[in-house]
Amino acid sequence: MSQTLTTKQTAIGGRTFDSDKLLAVVCLIVPLIGLFLFFLYPMVIVFLRSITVEGGGYGLANYQEILASKGFWRATQHSLLMGGATTVVSVVLGYIIAHGLHRCVFPGKNLIRVAIVLPMLAPSLVQALGLIFIFGRNGLINRFFGLELEIYGFWGLLISNTLYALPQVVMIIGAALVLLDARIFEAAEVMGAKPSRQFRDLTLPGVIYAILSAAFVVFIITITDFGNAAVIGGDYSVLATEIYSQVIGQRNFNMGAVVGIMLLLPTVVSYYIERQAMKRQQNQKATNIQPYVPRFYGKRDVPMAMANYVIAAMIVLVIGVVVYASFVKLWPYNYSLTTKHYFITLAGGYSSLWVTIWISICAATLGTLAVFVLGVGLRRASAVLTQPIQVLASMPAAVPGMVLGLAYILTFNSTSTPLYLLYGSAALIAAVNFYHYHTQAFMTIMTGFRQFPSELEEAGESLGAGLGRISFNIIAPFVTPMLISIFFFLFMRSMVTLSAVVFLTTPKLSVAAVTIMRLDDAGLTSQAAAFSTAVMVVVGLALLGMKGILVLVQTHKARVKGA
Amino acid sequence: MKNWTKNITSAAVAVAMSGSLLATSAQAGELTVYTALEEEEIASYVEAAKTAMPDVELNVLRLSTGKLGARLLAEADNPQADVIWGWAVTAMMDPQVLALLESYKAKGADVLGKEFRDPEDRWFAPIGYMGAFCVNTARLEQKNLPMPKSWADLKDPAFKGEILMPDPNSSGTGYLHVNAVLQSNGLEKGWGVLTDVDPNMAQYTSSGSKPCKAARAGEYAVGISLAFTAMKSIEDGYPLAMVFPEGGVGYELEASGLMASSDNKSDAKRFLDWTMTKEAQALYGKFKALITIPGVETSEAAAKAGLPSDISSILAPVNFAESAGRQKDIKKEWKERFGR
Repeated sequence: MSQTLTTKQTAIGGRTFDSDKLLAVVCLIVPLIGLFLFFLYPMVIVFLRSITVEGGGYGLANYQEILASKGFWRATQHSLLMGGATTVVSVVLGYIIAHGLHRCVFPGKNLIRVAIVLPMLAPSLVQALGLIFIFGRNGLINRFFGLELEIYGFWGLLISNTLYALPQVVMIIGAALVLLDARIFEAAEVMGAKPSRQFRDLTLPGVIYAILSAAFVVFIITITDFGNAAVIGGDYSVLATEIYSQVIGQRNFNMGAVVGIMLLLPTVVSYYIERQAMKRQQNQKATNIQPYVPRFYGKRDVPMAMANYVIAAMIVLVIGVVVYASFVKLWPYNYSLTTKHYFITLAGGYSSLWVTIWISICAATLGTLAVFVLGVGLRRASAVLTQPIQVLASMPAAVPGMVLGLAYILTFNSTSTPLYLLYGSAALIAAVNFYHYHTQAFMTIMTGFRQFPSELEEAGESLGAGLGRISFNIIAPFVTPMLISIFFFLFMRSMVTLSAVVFLTTPKLSVAAVTIMRLDDAGLTSQAAAFSTAVMVVVGLALLGMKGILVLVQTHKARVKGA
Repeated sequence: MKNWTKNITSAAVAVAMSGSLLATSAQAGELTVYTALEEEEIASYVEAAKTAMPDVELNVLRLSTGKLGARLLAEADNPQADVIWGWAVTAMMDPQVLALLESYKAKGADVLGKEFRDPEDRWFAPIGYMGAFCVNTARLEQKNLPMPKSWADLKDPAFKGEILMPDPNSSGTGYLHVNAVLQSNGLEKGWGVLTDVDPNMAQYTSSGSKPCKAARAGEYAVGISLAFTAMKSIEDGYPLAMVFPEGGVGYELEASGLMASSDNKSDAKRFLDWTMTKEAQALYGKFKALITIPGVETSEAAAKAGLPSDISSILAPVNFAESAGRQKDIKKEWKERFGR
C-alpha cells in the first residue's frame, strides 16, 4: 500500500520520467565503464603493441610479416575449418540436449543436467587426460579392441572442442526454449498440428535467435582456444598455437598481438551475419508465458532420450575415467587403488581452492548483476547506441585468454594510471574471469530479454511503475532462469579457468587452476588429477548449496505471496 | 523506495567485497623471486635460504620458462620481481631481458668458468638441466623396436609415428635439442640429421615436458624431452628408460640475476650470494644433474638414472652466446623446413 502511494506521488510530481531517464543512463554507463576498463582499454593497448615495430615507433610491418608467412595462412585455414565443424556438431548436439530437457518426456533428466555441466566445472586438464585415457593410442578403446585409432589431430580436436562448447550451447538455447509459451503449442495441437509441424513452424522460429547466438559463441571460442589444440590437436596448427609460439616461445608479444587483433575480425563478421539473419526473423512474443509441459510422444521422445543418454554418457565417461585414475596407483600400468595422490606434496596444498571459491563467487555475483543491468539499459537506449554496445559486449570471447592475461599486465601494472592498485589483487582475477566470459553471459541474458514481452513493460509503465521497479519486479523474475544459469556458468568457469589467470597470480595469491598446472608441470599428473577431482567435488557441493538456498528463497517467496 | 535502498545496499556490499579483495602492498624485508626451477628443489632451497636469512620474507613465483619470459617482459614497465632465479640462460640472454638486469658480482660466482657467467655480470649460472630421450620400454617391446641410442638411430623407418619432440618455436626444450644437434654436428650435417628424423616425428608439441609424459603413458615410444621429467617418471614406476643420445646431449644453464628495478637490492644481493654458498651447493648435489661449480658432485638420482660421473664427456659442445645470438634465425629456418 505504501509503495503504491509513493509511486503515485512521484508520478504526480513528474519525477518518474526524469529519474527513469537517469536510471536508464546509469544502467548503461556503469556496465559500460566496466567493459571499457577491463576489456576495451586493455585491447587498445594490445592493438598499440601490434603496431609497434622493432626498434620502436608505429607501423604495419608486423602485420605485413605475419600476412606473408605460410604458417599463418595454414593456421587460419585450420582454425576456420575447425571453428565451422565444431559449430555445426556442437549446435546440433546441444540443441538435441536442450530440446530433450525442455520439451520432451523421459526419465533421468536431472542426471543429464548434471552430466552436461561437467565439462564446465572440470579443469581443462581433466578433459584432456580423459580423452587420451579413452581414445588415445594407448587408451582403453584401442587396447580393448586391439585397434590403432589415432586421435591426435583434426578429430581429436573436434571432439575436445565440442565437449567444451556443448554446455554453453545448451545454456543459450535452453534460455530460449524455456521461455516459449505453452499456449501457442496447445492451440496448434487443437488444430491438429503434428509435433514435427509444431517443431518446424513454432519451436524453431522461436529459438532461431538463440541458435544463431550459440553458433556465434561456439565459433569464436573454438578459434581462440589454445588448451585443446595443444593437448590433442597434434600437428593441426591453429591460430591460437601461432600466438603461443610467438608470445611464449619467442618472447615476441607484439607479433602475438597481431594475431590476437586479427582474431577479432571473424567475430565482427560473424556478428554482422547473425544480425542480418535476425532482421528477417519476426519474433513472436506472448504477453503472459505459460510454462510448457510436454506430453509423452513416443516417436519423438524415445529417440531423443537415446540421443540424450548417449551424449551424457560420453561426457560422464571422459570425466569419470580421470576421477577413477586419480585413485589408481599408476595409470595405465598399475590399477590397484590408492588415495595417495590426494596428499598434495606441493607447498600450499589445497589452500588455493578456498581463495578461488571467494573469487569465483564475486566474479559470478558482480558479473550476473552487470549483464542484467546492461540488458535493462540497452532496452532504453537509442538504436544508434545499441549496435556498437552489443558488438563490444559480444567481443571478449574472441580474445584468447593468454592475450587477455598479458594485456591485463600491460594495463594494470602501469603506474601511469591509478589502476595499478588493482595489480596483483584478487579483484583483478575476478574481473578477468568475468570479462573473459562476458560474451556468453551477455548472449544468454539477451536471449531472455528478446523473449520479454514489451507489453508487460508498457502495462507496468501505465500503472506508474518506474524503470527500477519494472526491472526488479517484472523483468528480473521473467529472466530469473537465465540469471541463475549465468551465475552458475561464471562461477564454474572462474573456479577452473587458467589461460588468463596464470599471468595474474602472485607468490601470495594463487588459484586452483594454477595449482593444477604446477602439479602437472612438476610431472605429478596423478596429483593434478586428484586436485582436479577435489575441485569438481567442491564446486559441485557449492552449486548444490546455492541451489538449495535458491529453492528455500523461492518457497519462502511463494509462501509470502500465498499469504 | 525500498528497491532503491536495496540497490544501494547491494552496491555497497559489492564495493566492500572488492575492497577486501585488493592486494596489500609489499613491505620492507620482502623479496619477490621469479623462477623456473622445479617445485621440488625450490621447496628445499627456499627452506634453507629462509634459515640463512630469517629476516627476509621470500615470495617465490614459479612459472615455466616460456610463461615466465612472457610475464617478465609484459611487466617490464614496472617490474615486480627483485630477482630472477634459475631461468634458462638462452632466454636470459634476450636483449629485452638483459636490459632489465643490473650487474652484480655475487659472492663466490667468480669460481665459475667464463662460459657460465655474463662478462658484464648481469647473470651467472651455477646449475643447469639436460635434455634426454624418454623411451617407453613396454611400447618398444610391443612394437618390436630397437632401443635408440642416438639421433641417427631415430632415422629407422620402424620409428615412424612413434616419436614426439617439442617445437623449438614454442618450447625452450625444443630449441635445446635442435641447438645441440646443430652445434655438435655443425650446421650442414646437423640440419641433415633433423631432416632424416622429421618423417618419423608424430608431432612437434608446444610443451617441452609433454613428449616425455606422452611416452611414459605409452602413447608413443620415444619422447624427446627433459632428463628431469624422465627421472621423475622412472622414480614413479613408469616403464621408462632415459637415454642420453650419443654424440652430444643438449643442455641448458639456469641463470640468476638482479633486477635493476628492485627496491630491496641489499636483500636481493644477499639471496644471490646465498645461491653460491656451500650450503646451496650441497643441495644442488642432491637435485641437479648439471652443476657448473668446479668440484661439486652431481646427484645420486642422476647416477642411478645412468648419468656418467664426468658429465662433460656426454654433453654437446654448446656455446651459449652463439646459441642465444642466432636463435631467431635457427627457429625461423626450422619453421621453414619442418613447420607443420
